[in-house]
Amino acid sequence: MASRLSRPAALLAVFALVVGACGGSTTPPAASVAASTAASVAPSEVAASVAPSVAAPSVIPTVPPGGPVTVTWFCCLGGGDEESQQKTFKDVAKAFEATHPNIKIVLDHTAYAGARQAFSVKLASGTPPDVVGPIGVGGASAFEGQWLDLQPLITKNQVDLSDYDQQMLDLYKAGGQGQYGIPFAIYPSELYYQPDMFDEAELEYPPTSYGQQYKMPDGSMVEWNYDTVRNIAMLLTLDKSGKNATEAGFDPGHIVQYGFEPQRDDLRTIGAGFFGQGRLLADDGKTAQIPDPWRAAWKWIYDGIWKDHFIMSDQVYQTPAFMGGYDAFNSGKIAMDENFLWSVCCITEAGGNWNLGALPAYQGKVTAPINADTFRITKASKHPDEAFEFLRYLVAGEGRTKLLNAISGFPALKSDQPSFFDQLKQQKNDKGKLIYPPDVNWDVATAGIQYADVQNNTESFMPNYNKSLDVLVKYLTRFTGTAGLDVDTELTKMQTELQAAFNK
Amino acid sequence: MTAISIPRRRLAVPRRPHLSPQARREARWGLIFISPWIIGFFAFTLLPMIATLAFTFTNINLDQKEPLSFVGITNYSRLFSDPQAWESLGVTLRFAVLALPISVGLPLLVALLLNSRHLRGSGLFRVLFFMPYVVPFVAGVLIWQTMLNPADGWIDVFLRAIGVAHPPDWLRDTTWVYPGLVFIGIWGIGGGVIVYLAGLSGIPTEYYDAARIDGAGYLRQLQHVTLPLLTPVIFYTLILGIVEVLQYFLVPLVLNQGTGEPNGSTLFLNLYIFKNFFGYQDLAYGSTIAWFLFAITLVITAVLFGTARRWVFYAGDR
Repeated sequence: MASRLSRPAALLAVFALVVGACGGSTTPPAASVAASTAASVAPSEVAASVAPSVAAPSVIPTVPPGGPVTVTWFCCLGGGDEESQQKTFKDVAKAFEATHPNIKIVLDHTAYAGARQAFSVKLASGTPPDVVGPIGVGGASAFEGQWLDLQPLITKNQVDLSDYDQQMLDLYKAGGQGQYGIPFAIYPSELYYQPDMFDEAELEYPPTSYGQQYKMPDGSMVEWNYDTVRNIAMLLTLDKSGKNATEAGFDPGHIVQYGFEPQRDDLRTIGAGFFGQGRLLADDGKTAQIPDPWRAAWKWIYDGIWKDHFIMSDQVYQTPAFMGGYDAFNSGKIAMDENFLWSVCCITEAGGNWNLGALPAYQGKVTAPINADTFRITKASKHPDEAFEFLRYLVAGEGRTKLLNAISGFPALKSDQPSFFDQLKQQKNDKGKLIYPPDVNWDVATAGIQYADVQNNTESFMPNYNKSLDVLVKYLTRFTGTAGLDVDTELTKMQTELQAAFNK
Repeated sequence: MTAISIPRRRLAVPRRPHLSPQARREARWGLIFISPWIIGFFAFTLLPMIATLAFTFTNINLDQKEPLSFVGITNYSRLFSDPQAWESLGVTLRFAVLALPISVGLPLLVALLLNSRHLRGSGLFRVLFFMPYVVPFVAGVLIWQTMLNPADGWIDVFLRAIGVAHPPDWLRDTTWVYPGLVFIGIWGIGGGVIVYLAGLSGIPTEYYDAARIDGAGYLRQLQHVTLPLLTPVIFYTLILGIVEVLQYFLVPLVLNQGTGEPNGSTLFLNLYIFKNFFGYQDLAYGSTIAWFLFAITLVITAVLFGTARRWVFYAGDR
């Protein structure tokens, strides 16, 4: 009897072991910067209403005879993989299903770190998801050619896009043809600064609006450009004895406060995209090029790190004193920081008195790069109509505000924008204290949209995207981590390597 | 005429040993119990290996713009004309020349010290040496990255304190990056130390007694008793060390995001495989380099096994 019982028990044990061995470990969600917002941003509703222009009419469809159509929603090529975000996504999908019994949503989640590989496998194996998102320009560029042109569906469903900035709509047009996305969340860029550090150095604050000049310590009025930023950033850079970077005896080996911090996500955003719009791929679609403003930007950054010392090297950036490789402005030891709006998610550690100012100009022209997240439909989707129905719900349906709050997105719908900053101002932490300083100049963030790089977005397509990006990561590491380089020579080498990547 | 029948000799075909019902039952249960491993081996090791070998003769990639097709030895031709592949192999071999003697020799030295009768608190030292081994590897690498940071890392702070005006930038300077990586590797020698200690404890004390009676001192005992009897363990550690160093990957990936910086000096061959396979999604070429690395590893280990009979002594060998 015991033997009879032991056999099934042993087989059960073997089965359990096999299942255990085959089952993947629970992958911890990647720490996406934007994603961490969910913890600090309370899901306060901007407006629970449906945006009438884009969302589908509220007629409850009937279930087709063959049962509901399954639409697969793939996440997370552009963040959104934190647990709280996933819960929001599931809630939104359920809410959609409640009003659309003809469509069943299957949320297919892969952590950001492995999402590109997982998505590639799905495409290659002929099992493409239908809806993908939230996904940024870079994530979409990595899969150029895989997205459905939504224009026929927009026309067929008579979708009114008038509540969107034309600039933002253009961001999702490829080569002036087609409409590969409907804007959802946008992240304009702006200049973050610490007023107390300016006060201490007896300097004027950065301009509060675009077009304003800057008053230098000698009283002269100058253009707010990168030369001006360099000059005041050096005054704001202090060593441990309190000397600034313009003073004799300044010790660059022991800097305790830096004047300026660039956006460091990508070589294309470290200075480059802020100096001017450009692309590394020439108009012929084959040739690698380096736009002149970008070349100037990288020299400015390089000199800022290694010659003028108002920007920290990567070695310093990695130290715990400056947040150990994450947003260094939050260390409270940076006077000015160029960044996107998504960085407000994690700015609470930067102290209670930061503010926003206008970005400087280069050669008389301001460029404020923009990041954007939305949802896309794959070209190979087997249910494009149902997927489009769901996409409209995501970008403009009732759940959009929950989604925006979950990913800390500034709404692309113009009618939602005014209330976005109102709810930011009211947000409190666990102790009931306001999260953001009460007098933050949020208007300058909105104003930056008009200077956005929509024609040539910094994250725009390059052939062999992942390999090309690899070259850029290499040179980002090299420029920020190696003294004594000849930047022009390095850029020539980089262009050659990029061309090789483009050619493959 | 009567034919003479010559009795046929029975062919010497080995017969399967006759198993008793009890033995058969035990064998069956044994197989059932090891079946998770067997299934896992087939599903997750053997099949992927065969698949990657097949990939090397195709144009498969995850961004399959051209139809999947058989391409013969195109990927192998590409490998032999790819300067980066050879540069990465050079990086791997240069690092191996520095790292391998240390990863094999240092644990032995530490094990000999810990095994000494004169060392007090050897148990505590054993625990201390082994502790880093149980720290998650990536966490350990990140800790070392902080310690080797030239701005405020403990090592350079210490060097400045003792008068070194310009301590090395361990992980960004092509001159210092390999010593820096070896430093990180030394932290994890605990596993090797335990293996050597196990080997040392297996040497019969009679040999030492006999050597002492013959007047051998510590060094003579080490030379004529300890090291010869430890050669199987040294051989085992050497083989594993070679395999590990040829597959060196995680540290440069974590430290420099796999960029190969400074100046390509950390773009190890295994990292190049990873980039091609997963980063560039070129499964065919990534598999080809992987098989190339496998072949190199196989040749080196085969050569080592070939030499083993000259310098590895097993107990009971004549």
